[in-house]
Amino acid sequence: MEISTQKDDIGRRSFLDLFIALLLATFGGGVLYPIIRYISPVKMEPGAMEDEKFSIPLAEVPEGSAKMVRYKDAPIVIIHSQGKEVVALSATCTHLGCVVKWNEEAKELQCPCHGAVFDRFGQVKGGPAPKPLPSFEVRVDGDKIQLV
Amino acid sequence: MIKSVFQKIWNFLDERYGVWELVEKDLLKKVPPLNWTYYFGGATLFFFQVQVISGILLLIYYRPTIEEAYASVMNITNNIPFGWLVRGFHAWGANLMIITLLLHMSRVFYQGSYKNPRELNWVVGVGLLSSALVFSFTGYLLPWTQLSYWATVVGTEIPAAVPYIGPYLKAYIRGGEEITQYTLSRFFALHVVIIPAALCGLLALHLLIVREVGISEPVSEIKKRERKQT
Repeated sequence: MEISTQKDDIGRRSFLDLFIALLLATFGGGVLYPIIRYISPVKMEPGAMEDEKFSIPLAEVPEGSAKMVRYKDAPIVIIHSQGKEVVALSATCTHLGCVVKWNEEAKELQCPCHGAVFDRFGQVKGGPAPKPLPSFEVRVDGDKIQLV
Repeated sequence: MIKSVFQKIWNFLDERYGVWELVEKDLLKKVPPLNWTYYFGGATLFFFQVQVISGILLLIYYRPTIEEAYASVMNITNNIPFGWLVRGFHAWGANLMIITLLLHMSRVFYQGSYKNPRELNWVVGVGLLSSALVFSFTGYLLPWTQLSYWATVVGTEIPAAVPYIGPYLKAYIRGGEEITQYTLSRFFALHVVIIPAALCGLLALHLLIVREVGISEPVSEIKKRERKQT
């Protein structure tokens, strides 16, 4: 009898240890999980992602200018050059993936990282870029620019 | 295996810097007989720690400009995972901290714990109260809502009633005649850098004095002792 109760005591003690460890782990997890989720990288606004037919008003991209937009979680540059031509290009540089910027005076896309230069159709004009920028089909529908 | 590694690290530190002595002296002190009204100060300290952690987390997404402040707070509340929770902790923690602070202050006052040799700790405590109130007032403006805007208009009109220097005081607090971007920038700087630094200094002093002179004996304990003697 005595031996069995002693065994019970040890069982109870190790059970309590385990119980307290689990309790602490649950509490710690409950505190850490929201914090990690909170500081994790932010996803793009759901509106721009779910909208399969992405469109913006033509007035937002006046002639001679360009506008950066987000489409399917990737940066896209919409260029409206003189002569009413609208082009949509991926704004991710084909060299090492930086986001290219439209230079309004030179009428070209320039990569801030290693100086790759693309013309307004995405063709490589200079710098280390190996390929032209992928382009998207665009339709000007009345006063809207639509990505197809 | 793991235990021996920790043991080695501990021994390394202890041999050189006497860590054990430090822990023994400051953390393993036996708590004197207290009653529950003595825990409000500790509760205030706990809520302050909650404010520090949740405040740092809010700082990651908050943008202190009049164009973006409200939008960034809405983004935290509606889009960022658990942002509502972090903001809720910060807002509720602020209120609860003031409540426990006032309870702590009442306890010290009604039990006469501020008397010799603890007079100066009362003075430091009033400094902490002032810091906490400036914390609340400046933090209230940051979401840049109608409510916070007009609360700040009213709140900064009050010092304007001081004779002679009032109008200057108001202009210094607002950073101009009106509530503008300058006001928001000032309040933001006060809320996240200046007041936290001041409060941490005062808090260290407050706790140091408590450790130095000890906690006042509860009236109930004194009575118990007297009863035993008679």
